[in-house]
Amino acid sequence: MNAATVSRWLLWGEWRAHWLQIVTALLAIAIGIAMAFSIHLINTAAFNEFSAASKSLSGQSDLQVQGRTAFFDEALYPRLADYDGVALANPVLELDVSVPGKQQNRNDHRLKIIGTDMFRSMQIAPDLLGLTEEGKTLDRVASDTVFLSPAAMEWLQVQQNDTLQLHAGLETVSLRIAGGLVRARAGQRIAVMDIGALQWRFQQLGVLSRIELKLRDGVNHAAFKAQLASDLGESFVVAEAQDQEKRIANMSRAYRVNLNMLALVALFTGTFLVFSTQALSVVRRRQQFALLRVLGVTRAQLLRQIAMEGLTLGVLGSLLGLALGYTVALLAIQLLGGDLGTNFFPGVKPGIHFDPPTALLFLGIGIAVTLLGSIIPALEAARAKPALALRSGSEDTAMAKLSTPWFALICLTVALLFTQLPPIFELPIFGYLAISLLLIGGIALMPHFTGRFFSSVLRRWPQYRGNIVSTLALARLANAPNQAAIALGGILASFSLMVAMAIMVTSFRVSIDSWLGQVLPADVYVRTASSGDQGGFPPDAQQAIAALSGFNRIDFFRTQQLTLDPNRPDITLFARPVDRADARNTLPMTDDMLTPGSIPSNAMPVWISEAIVDLYGYRVGDTIKLPVGAASNEFLVAGVWRDYGRQFGAIQMLLSDYQALTGDLSVNTAAMWLQPDTTSDQALAMLRQLPFGAALEISRSSDLRALSLEIFDRSFAVTYLLEMIAVVIGLLGVAASFSAQTLARVKEFGMLRHIGVLRRQIFALLAAEGGLLTLLGIALGFALGWAISLILVFIVNPQSFHWTMSLHVPWLWLMTIAVILLMSAALTALLSGRRAVSAQVVRAVREDW
Amino acid sequence: MLELRHITKGYAEGRKVLTDLSYRLPAGDYVAIMGESGVGKSTLLNLIAGLDTPDSGEIVIDGAAISSLDDDAATRLRRERFGFIFQAFHVLPHLTLAQNIALPLLLNGNEADARVVRMLEQVGLQGRGDHFPRQLSGGELQRVAIARALIHRPKLVLADEPTGNLDPDTAHEILQLIRAEIKANGATGILVTHSHAAAATADRVLNLTKDGLQAATPGGSA
Amino acid sequence: MKTMSRFNGVIAFVMLFFCLLGIDALAESNRLKPVTPDYKLSFPLDYGAHDDFRIEWWYITGWLETADKKPLGFQVTFFRYATDSNRDNPSRFAAKYLIIAHLALSDPAAGKLMHVERTVREGFGLAYAKPGDTDVKLDDWTLVREDNGRYVVDMRDSDFGLQLSLTPTQSPMLQDQNGFSRKGPKPEQASYYYSEPHLSVSGTVFRNDKPIAVTGRAWLDHEWSTAYLDPEADGWDWVGANLDDGSALMAFQIRAKQGGKVWAYAALRDASGNMTLFDPDQVEFTPVRMWQSPHTEAVYPVEMRIRTGDIEWQLTPLLDDQELDARQSTATVYWEGAVTLTRNKQPAGHGYLELTGYTKPLAL
Repeated sequence: MNAATVSRWLLWGEWRAHWLQIVTALLAIAIGIAMAFSIHLINTAAFNEFSAASKSLSGQSDLQVQGRTAFFDEALYPRLADYDGVALANPVLELDVSVPGKQQNRNDHRLKIIGTDMFRSMQIAPDLLGLTEEGKTLDRVASDTVFLSPAAMEWLQVQQNDTLQLHAGLETVSLRIAGGLVRARAGQRIAVMDIGALQWRFQQLGVLSRIELKLRDGVNHAAFKAQLASDLGESFVVAEAQDQEKRIANMSRAYRVNLNMLALVALFTGTFLVFSTQALSVVRRRQQFALLRVLGVTRAQLLRQIAMEGLTLGVLGSLLGLALGYTVALLAIQLLGGDLGTNFFPGVKPGIHFDPPTALLFLGIGIAVTLLGSIIPALEAARAKPALALRSGSEDTAMAKLSTPWFALICLTVALLFTQLPPIFELPIFGYLAISLLLIGGIALMPHFTGRFFSSVLRRWPQYRGNIVSTLALARLANAPNQAAIALGGILASFSLMVAMAIMVTSFRVSIDSWLGQVLPADVYVRTASSGDQGGFPPDAQQAIAALSGFNRIDFFRTQQLTLDPNRPDITLFARPVDRADARNTLPMTDDMLTPGSIPSNAMPVWISEAIVDLYGYRVGDTIKLPVGAASNEFLVAGVWRDYGRQFGAIQMLLSDYQALTGDLSVNTAAMWLQPDTTSDQALAMLRQLPFGAALEISRSSDLRALSLEIFDRSFAVTYLLEMIAVVIGLLGVAASFSAQTLARVKEFGMLRHIGVLRRQIFALLAAEGGLLTLLGIALGFALGWAISLILVFIVNPQSFHWTMSLHVPWLWLMTIAVILLMSAALTALLSGRRAVSAQVVRAVREDW
Repeated sequence: MLELRHITKGYAEGRKVLTDLSYRLPAGDYVAIMGESGVGKSTLLNLIAGLDTPDSGEIVIDGAAISSLDDDAATRLRRERFGFIFQAFHVLPHLTLAQNIALPLLLNGNEADARVVRMLEQVGLQGRGDHFPRQLSGGELQRVAIARALIHRPKLVLADEPTGNLDPDTAHEILQLIRAEIKANGATGILVTHSHAAAATADRVLNLTKDGLQAATPGGSA
Repeated sequence: MKTMSRFNGVIAFVMLFFCLLGIDALAESNRLKPVTPDYKLSFPLDYGAHDDFRIEWWYITGWLETADKKPLGFQVTFFRYATDSNRDNPSRFAAKYLIIAHLALSDPAAGKLMHVERTVREGFGLAYAKPGDTDVKLDDWTLVREDNGRYVVDMRDSDFGLQLSLTPTQSPMLQDQNGFSRKGPKPEQASYYYSEPHLSVSGTVFRNDKPIAVTGRAWLDHEWSTAYLDPEADGWDWVGANLDDGSALMAFQIRAKQGGKVWAYAALRDASGNMTLFDPDQVEFTPVRMWQSPHTEAVYPVEMRIRTGDIEWQLTPLLDDQELDARQSTATVYWEGAVTLTRNKQPAGHGYLELTGYTKPLAL
């Protein structure tokens, strides 16, 4: 016989007969691939765009010199310009400036202004050259002009020659929009001013953010960098362009990796569904395959036949998935932005680029997992002895081989071991491996567990009496657990992931909520409208605030960014009043701290966040050097506090120490506690009446809390979406496998109808089987999910974001989901069992082949 | 016991299978029905079992017109008064032999009692009630099916080619067993078969043709 | 004014500002001073920068000879430009003054002009034009006048450059009315202007990092003003020449948009220091041979006959292609080249000819 023709007939016949399962399997692969692919596309696009945008700001410089803090004295500029080997030194002052009228969006109300000397920068970053009106080229070096990128103009709703009002500290600055930055990247929201004008108008005289260097031809970069770094001393950081990229990559790496992992989990669930579809289809056709073997089809031919089916499914599903993923990515970028609403990549508008090699890679992954899902049942089918397989009732024996408890136990054991391993490249690789092994092991253990569990239930069941439906259902689940378990695998996988994510997110949310209470103890917080590192309140403004009545207590904070390691994102330094005797009165401390009252009086204490411990290796009791003040000074690590706000690390120190070391008496923030008889509205009104009231950002702590939680929820919106998709895939799996099994059991139902089982009893039987199975799946999924959530909470989160949290389980929510899932599974089983009561069923008993 | 009154049955595609078929089967009789393939033996069995309804005519069993019952009533009638034996045995693989045999009792709301053990003994499977079907040969599976068909003392046993999957020696044993059990339980029996040897184990042999059911001449061809 | 073209060439935005708004700038500015005939130049103070005037330049052109007697032309220019817009800004970066410099080398062997220009803001000691005596710096480019009167120029770029010392052999030549040089029919259209002709040059020219020893003779102009260009002006032709007999010739005409000339001037000083000045109607420029640039398709009168009174001068370029095409960097084009002169058809000396306004006005 012509093997290819037979192969085609068989494939086509099978698919025509079971198109629903085929469609389900296709969808499962497609959705899995689509999730993974779209997340990859979005992440890559957002990251590349963010990186390109950052690069366009620094142009084609060879080296960058920065201070440890955000700004440094401009005296370095002539020194570097004349430094041997330097072809060009480009001084840059960069400020994030608050835009009046945009404050309601606290996360996104700043405009980045880059101050450049155009005569220097045009040779290194020509994209930053403003386009003036004809004849007004001197606007580029004027003191009252600003140039805006198209995205910034759109955001601010202004155009050329309009006046732009910006906050500078406590004052308002008016600038004329002299033109555009036509070469800014799409979505890049930046402004360019003359560096002298920016220094003057925004009260930053005498300081620079960075100096970009272009070296003379033939200068050895590495040697130059080393020499310069040693000449400049530890107050400065000399970084290459690659370092900058690494820094940017570091900033969002944890976020990107975690999102990718979630996408892979969706793919994993899809894979499992393919496996179950193929396995069931193969088992259902055991007799057909046995016949083929009897007719002279070789093992290899049979194997090829089944693998071919899988391959076809894989190719079609993966292609569908790629198309779907691309579409989803396009939509998501448009609707949610490149960071899916998390603000990890602010101020860019990335475009999705179809990248053939990556698409091929994902196609390969899709095909590979599908093939893998087909090969295992195919091997079993090919190995089966035809004579034995011809007999009915041997299906479950066949399935038994697919799942040995040993394999499952090994998976679980290795998973347990992996939870003990440290991160790799600061990523929780082993944590994720442990999660997948837990899932694989859990699913593999499922048949065994199902059989044992229902056997023991059956033993306790009043055997030969009562409800025949439950007896039949239990007997089936107890004695044919493998097919049942396969149906359950998808549900188990998706539900356990859902439980895990729900527990993790809830734990995180509850922890953040109580943390917010601790870090925002005051009633009202007042910042100057200018940002971060510009100390907004000079001493006289502080006195004006302190002189206000109606407040019990007012604390002033000085915050700024500090570079500890040029390869890492900056850390945040807080200088504020802290209870020196017991920091727990001020900060959300972990247990890791010096005994209260034991700080030597001559030591300057600092309290470091958990991220600092992980990233920089500082320990409580250590004496560390920090670049605070003119030179580096020694500080005593007095404790570790919990910080969910800054994953790159934060350090708290005493404001008095800070002021003594730096002489910088300005502060950024005032935390104010109301007197009992003052309302927050009254307080706000008083603050607004200050001479500089208009330039203040005033927030109630309740608003800040609400806002923070809103941002939190938005960040996890994508996670919820992924979970839902995983569950839908799981339900699709239940539908597919139940309808497959109903078909396989058609004779059984036919016989039962003959001997007097009612139609509705058949329905009840199916619903009972589906329901019981799902109930077990939910219970098991809960256990598995709980275990996974432990890994997420105690391993993945601390390792990737460097924060710890306590465990909180959202019982009500999980119960609701469980009930919904249970009902949908029973319903699914019912719907897919419609055929079990059709007229053909009756005839099936007599239509033996 | 069983009365067929002017039964006509056709199918959607327009093929008439049975036309105005009438027959009366007295209680306690054990008859064999033979006939060419496609003449309507299976259709007739489905109609008698209430699994299908005739286009016209009436089927009365033990005074009840099963052909006019709805599905539930017909099913209840079936579970109480019918016993079925199939060519492919149809023993549930995930139930033990005892459980399989006890099914009709449970369906009728009775307890599975000593009858199950006795029935196992009667069909020659004593002591194997805890076994699963996969451990059994074809002949043994059909013994289980016979036990299941008779455990609830049905009035009417329908056996559809019960030895089609068995070797001649085993077939003979099984046919003898069916006959013996039908007689022992005082039931009425209908055996549908192609085999003259099998048909010979019944009290009488009927030929189903397009003209209806007629007694076969002894020794004559079908 | 001749240098204005260089200014054009150097940085277009300054040129536009200067050319289009130059007249009004005087009225607008209450800080920058106008040029008046009553000022008397005093040295060495006036060798240095004059911050109160909008624009100022030091401009050196000359002929060099290598050891193997190959001729080279060179020009070196430093500008100081007052933006007049950031006076209140206390920042050290405030762009109060711009320093612009231009270096060009004409080599007949290369067949065209090599040139490079730079613009920066004054400040941080990296770029300045100091008052008191000539002392101008733009990063590592410097022009300094030493106490003994000798100028030292050091300008190196990636592929060419020069280090020259230029020693005066004659006293400064105050142009027009003792250094008050009129540029148009209106009295305020003027600059302060003196020249140092017959500077004796020695030093090194660098080509691709190879030093080549050179000697030669050069001409320095120092001119400062706030505003002087007539709105009718279309372009100008200028020549400055060191004559073999020790005399020095400077002549220019400002062409009118409708044809003809807005203004013209010429001065001839003999070796003993006697100045002959020529009125606008005594000075006449006549094109002799036109050359079309293959780069810009502009047509320049690269050979020119100039009449000053009853003297007829004929100018022949060292090479035709001395067009300075700076469109890539600053969007302007003009011709600036070394020429030999004949006086009444007798070989007379060497100088520099500048031709501007021969291409369409440039749009940014």
